[in-house]
Amino acid sequence: MANSLRLYLACIKNTLEAAMCLQNFPCQEVERHNKPEVELKTSPELLLNPVLICRNEAEKCLIETSINSLRISLKVKQADELENILTKKFLRFLSMRAEAFQVLRRKPVQGYDISFLITNYHCEEMQKQKLIDFIIQFMEDIEKEIRDLKESVNTRGRLVATEFLKQFM
Amino acid sequence: MAYLERASPTLKETLLKIYRAEKPIEVDQHFHEFGSIQYHIKYSVSDPDIVHVSTSTLLETQGAVTLKEISSHTYEVITNIAVGVIDIVDPPRLGFQLTLALHLDNIPRGKEAIKIITRISEIQALILSSQLKEMLRKLNFQGDSQAMNNNNNRPIRIVYHPSEPFYVFKQPEKITAVFPMNFKDNSDVVIATSFFQELVEVGSQKEMGKAPQCSWSPIPPLQLRGEPVQDLTTNSGFVSFDITSRHVEGKRLDKTVWNLLNFYAYVKYHIKCSRGYIQRRMRKRMDSLVKLLDNTSLEDEADHQKENGRCNYVKEFVKVPKGKLMMKQRCKEMTRRVKISKFRIKINGCARFRFNQRWIFLPKFSSKPSNKSSYTKLD
Repeated sequence: MANSLRLYLACIKNTLEAAMCLQNFPCQEVERHNKPEVELKTSPELLLNPVLICRNEAEKCLIETSINSLRISLKVKQADELENILTKKFLRFLSMRAEAFQVLRRKPVQGYDISFLITNYHCEEMQKQKLIDFIIQFMEDIEKEIRDLKESVNTRGRLVATEFLKQFM
Repeated sequence: MAYLERASPTLKETLLKIYRAEKPIEVDQHFHEFGSIQYHIKYSVSDPDIVHVSTSTLLETQGAVTLKEISSHTYEVITNIAVGVIDIVDPPRLGFQLTLALHLDNIPRGKEAIKIITRISEIQALILSSQLKEMLRKLNFQGDSQAMNNNNNRPIRIVYHPSEPFYVFKQPEKITAVFPMNFKDNSDVVIATSFFQELVEVGSQKEMGKAPQCSWSPIPPLQLRGEPVQDLTTNSGFVSFDITSRHVEGKRLDKTVWNLLNFYAYVKYHIKCSRGYIQRRMRKRMDSLVKLLDNTSLEDEADHQKENGRCNYVKEFVKVPKGKLMMKQRCKEMTRRVKISKFRIKINGCARFRFNQRWIFLPKFSSKPSNKSSYTKLD
């Protein structure tokens, strides 16, 4: 793993560990409702300052915290057109299947590629440390997968091109 | 548009069915292939020896050589596929370019019959190739062909499919085939562009010296100036192949022509396969990520501890097959409820009755005295 990536992920991990202390909190606007405050943003006293962690201009992570929920938004590096298409395809593929992930948001926050919404209920059902590890692993896997996919598509293209030109010989 | 396989599968299947039928069967079949090629097969019980096969395609070629109909040379080639078996009907059936009368009695028995029927099914490939072959022959490499002089080196526009025209024009000592590439989907454009770049790179290698020189450019070549704007407006650029005299010598001509005709189909097939591959990889990765997230649940941790200590009947009883992810999601709530229910008295083998906990109520016995009921010391 590149050193800058390790530092970037370590920073996110530490921030998540600090931010993920959520508790049950009923909605102040609607009686007998529990809503993620980070989404509603109706009571400023229940929100913490958002933290933006940037590896570079193209790669960043926004962590927004509230009393009962946490929103993590990721922007993934897209160096060229192929990476851009692959990232969009992959993240859309995951977002469409958000019900399988529980913590994944169906629609990313504007300006980001993918978003997670973790509520206090998730923290009660899941182990906090493992949940943080999952987010970190997810980020690593996404980057690795896109890199591998790009390589594979190019390699396939090269092989197909070779086979096509061989037919003329 | 041409296709990767020369024989039309439907035509072959129908002809074989007619040929193998013990009793004559009535067939009146009309079908299309690739949007621009159409066939009509007519076989009547009243005339059991002859099958009529009609076909038509979009043969629209403009430029130095104008070909809208099948040439006499092509007729000759078709007849020579199987002498005595194929007759060309003149005039062809209304709405078709060519009608063949196949004499089933004259087809030899055994493996030879399948070979002949396969060759007959290749009829469209034959028509398409022979047109381009003829053009390549006419645009000879000697510099001053009659066609060139007449038309001032204007490119020939070949249309086998309405949305896939391509151009052939002559240059000193070579003929260039230019393919304007258009795709509907953005991701297709990107995959195709990456493929074209690889094609150019591979073509420039020493090992590929004998293959035609290949180039890709986002703007049309100068020679196409004056051609219809819709052809020159592309989203994936222009791919050019330089065909030299070497590529049209003897048997190579057939291969070269077939490869050029199939270029669109080849690229589209590559894109389709790449998309399938990407989809497969994404599915696989998603499964691994979901597994990772499933491991984070507290219940798993509790179960793990339980497994290490005592019986695991409950876990086995409510175990959901791992492959059925969606099913697992639906069952999760039920599973969770079952798992978290505590059995106060544990009797070996009774774990399976845990669902009946509600109606087998067991009173709570405790040896530990509560604070209220504890006796007080009397002074």
